[in-house]
Parts: sequence; structure tokens; C-alpha cells
Amino acid sequence: MEYIIAGFFQAIQLIISGDNQTWSAVSASIRVTTYSMMASLLIGIPSGFILGYFNFPGKRKLRLAVDTLLALPTVFIGLVVYAFLTRKGPLGEFGLLFTLSGIAIGQTILALPVVIALCATAVEAMDRNLRITLISLGANRRQLFITSLWEVRFGIIAAALNAYGRVMTEVGISMMVGGNIKWHTRTITTAIALETGKGMFATGIALGLILLLISFIVNVSLSLLRKKN
Amino acid sequence: MSQAPIYRIQNLVHQYHSSTVLEIDELTIPKHTIVGLAGPNGSGKTTLLKMLAFIEKPSKGLIWFDENKAEPFSSKVRFQVTYLPQVPYLMKRTVIDNITYGLKIRKDPGDHRQKCFEALSMVGLSGEEFADRKWFELSGGEAQRVALAARLILKPRVLLLDEPTANVDENSSRMIRRASLLAREKWNTTVLIASHDLDWLMNICDDMIYLFQGQLSGRGKYNILFGPFYQDAEGVWWKQIGTGQRFMISRPPLKNSAAVILSSDMHIFSQTDSTFPESNTVRGMLTNLRIEKSRSKVIATILVDGFQFIADLSEEQKQNSNFYPGKEVLLSFNPNNIKWQ
Repeated sequence: MEYIIAGFFQAIQLIISGDNQTWSAVSASIRVTTYSMMASLLIGIPSGFILGYFNFPGKRKLRLAVDTLLALPTVFIGLVVYAFLTRKGPLGEFGLLFTLSGIAIGQTILALPVVIALCATAVEAMDRNLRITLISLGANRRQLFITSLWEVRFGIIAAALNAYGRVMTEVGISMMVGGNIKWHTRTITTAIALETGKGMFATGIALGLILLLISFIVNVSLSLLRKKN
Repeated sequence: MSQAPIYRIQNLVHQYHSSTVLEIDELTIPKHTIVGLAGPNGSGKTTLLKMLAFIEKPSKGLIWFDENKAEPFSSKVRFQVTYLPQVPYLMKRTVIDNITYGLKIRKDPGDHRQKCFEALSMVGLSGEEFADRKWFELSGGEAQRVALAARLILKPRVLLLDEPTANVDENSSRMIRRASLLAREKWNTTVLIASHDLDWLMNICDDMIYLFQGQLSGRGKYNILFGPFYQDAEGVWWKQIGTGQRFMISRPPLKNSAAVILSSDMHIFSQTDSTFPESNTVRGMLTNLRIEKSRSKVIATILVDGFQFIADLSEEQKQNSNFYPGKEVLLSFNPNNIKWQ
């Protein structure tokens, strides 16, 4: 137990002293999750809206497929993305394997079903009188779409938070697609796995605390935003 | 030369899941009128209003607006017609943002706060007190009034109201009624109102449209009895009024025919009146007396087990003070005077 407590204090020291290795992993994690969240929200929000708002043939089957993808194992996504990005794979020529962009592609695949499914649920729960109200006030199709999205913003924030939680804490994709290369593709989670394996608990705990802190800051910011609205 | 109607419906059919809910061959609504829409639940009133508001496209048929073919999102109607649903929806924002949403869409250059205050005042709410409230800080009646203010601020050419006073308190109901009339007074707005409150409709409307089972069953100000009708063992046809009382009727030509009885053919009697007929009489309460603007006659509204009827007072009845709101009266008509539609 003592080594855990000692590790905790050393971790505080590492964070305060600005340990380069620790902050490199933090920087890589923030960058890669920013890319993947931007991509998944850009694709996922309109897709979720379409899935929740419109009735079309095959909608139920599509919804079932999206819900199934919610349980995608990260190592499986890592495997598939690796197979596509490896030199002999179909996207090998782009040289994305062992890069942050490669990890971001994998994390986008991970986050996308979460964003689509939860946005679709939020849109489905939307009051049908909203559409009637907006049309009767003179909204055109584009205004109808934008205002409807704004009305379900809290549901979309919840979807984004959920997806962010998944991409920030995943290890499988970052490890397999990124290769855990020091100063380059080492993220907080892959660093924790590595440092723990080496018996370096202090670094592992420091990174874990930072992970928690980032999560806390994101949640508090969104909560403040929600209150303001 | 008469003015072209604001609406003209031709061969309109609307279906939900292959079941026809509205079927109107021909209907016109004149400009600048207040038209009441009456009929039992499920008769198609809301569907018709949604079609006229261009929120839904009819399965078949055409709706002409101001002599132009129009459909949802058409630029010819988008800023002309507005509809207030029975259950209002307020967006998750402040009252002023809800009320001025339509102005923003229209890129209206005016002082939106000032206009919002004026619209709130039309529905009897104080701008200072309500403009900055959030959507969840309103009672049901206040929310309905804010929703109406969001329509009135647009100075619409057509205002469509679906049971605007159904779920609100008495004060809100009074304010909504007043504001609906103000729209026509101020901007010559054509107003269509669907309501179960026949008394109110008869009072304010220039014309009445009756719907039954998705079809037009009559037009004008009169009593109308919708089915189901039933025949007793002796072959006499009846219409049950409420739980216990019934009116004898002539034989309905069709299953879904509606019986029209003019107010001049409906007679009321005091319980002490020795002249009342013993057959085909029901007991009710006189709820309102009003003077018909055009024909200088006094019309009584009588409530019988939740059903409203109108009857002209005779010259003699007008002279005596035996009829007043709250008085129990007897109501009767001759089944042979029914006009079936």
C-alpha cells in the first residue's frame, strides 16, 4: 500500500515540475481526441439527426446496426484500422500507420456510433410540435434543421461527452495503430499501460490523475455552458 | 365583383397509413373573415388546419392560397400563414427569443424588444415581467398566450387557431379570445378557429364550417347533430344527447349524414309554460343570450348534457324576462324540419 501512496505524491511532483514525458503524452492525447471528436461530431450529428428525424425504408435495421456498433471492442477497431493503414493495406500509401492521424481515424470509428445513436435518441424524443411550430413561424428547411438541433442541444452534449469518455480512455486503438512511440504517438492511456508494466507507478498515477482532471474540466465546462443556456 | 377567396380547396384527400382522414371536394374561405370550425373529436379539424397552414401536404388535391397553388415551404405562403396548435410548443429559450423567432427568420429590421412587448400586451401579459423569463417559468395558460404572441407579432394574413382555449384557465381564455379578434381588427387577418366552444364561435364568427368523419357536413350558423343515430324496435330514429336524454329525428338518408336544425326551428320553453310539446323535448340550461348582428334577433344558447344548441327567442319570449342565463329550460324541434347533409 505504501508504494501506492508514495506513487501518488511523486505523481503530484511530476505534474507540478512539468515532466516532459508526462506532458508529451498529455499533449498527444488531447490532440488526437480533438481530431477524432471533431470528425465524429461533424459526421455523427447530421447522421444521428437523419436517423432520428426521418422515416425511411430500412431505418430500423440501420438503427440496430448502429446500436450494435456501440459495443465495438477497441482492439478490433485497432486491428481493422491497422490492416487498412499498414504498408500493404488499401490505405498504406498515405503513411498513416503509427501516427496521431491514424489513431484519430480509429477513435473516430469508435466514437461515431455513440454520437449517432445518442443523437438519434435525442431527436426521436423531440416534441413533434416543434416541427409544426417552426414551420408555422415561417422556418425553411435549413432553419428547421438548425433550430431543431439547437432544441436537442443537451442531448447532443450528452452524446459528445459519452463519446469523449470512450475515446479518451481507450487503449487498444492507440496501442495498435499508434504503436506507443515515445514523444510521438504515446498517449496518456498507452503510457499508463507501459509505465505500470515497468513498475513506474508514480508516472502511471500522474497520468491517471491528469486524465481525471481533463475529464473533470470538460464536464464542468459543458455543465456551465448548459446552465448559461 | 366579389373578392377572390384567400383559400380554395379542390378535391383534397388526406390519408394516414392508407386510412382517409380528410376528404373535401370544394371549400373556399373568404378574405378577412373569422370562420369557426366545429365537429366532434376525430372529425378532421386539426388535419384541415394543418393543411391550410401548409404544414402537411395533402395526399391528393390542391390548395390555392390567394389564387396561387401552394404547398409546404412555398415562398408564397411561408410568411403569410401561421398556425397555433392546441398544445403549444415553446422553444428552450426565453420568452422574448420565442416571440421574436419569426421576426429573425424574416430578417425584420425593427426593434424586436419593443415589438415583443406589444405582442405580449395583446395577450394580456406584461413585457417587463415576462420577456426575459425562461420557457419553463410559465404556467400552461401563460405558455399558450406567449405562443399566440409569437404568431401575432408576425401580423399574419391568416391566423389558424386549434382549440386555443381548451387547456387554459378562464383569464387566459378571455385574453386569447380578445387577442384573436384584435388580429382581424388591426391587420384584417383572416382567422380560422377550431373549437368545441360553439357558444364562442357562434358569437364571433362570420361563418361556421362543420366537419364529420373527415368530410364537410355543413356550413353556416345552425344546430347540427352528428351520428351515431339509432333506431328503436318500433322503427323510430333517435339521437342520444349525453347520457340519458334523446331527440327524435327523421330517418337519416345515409349512415354518416348530419342533421341540420336551424335556430329558428329549435324552440325553447320555460318549465312552467303550458304550451310546450310533450314529445321530443329535452331539458337543458340556458347559458347565453345574444343579439344576432345582421338579423336583429335574440339567440339563446342551451347546454344539454354537454351538447350546445342555439334557438331563436320568439317575439313574445323577447318581451318577457322569463329567460336568463342559468335558467332551466325545455328544448324541442319538429323532426320534419331536419335538413340532412
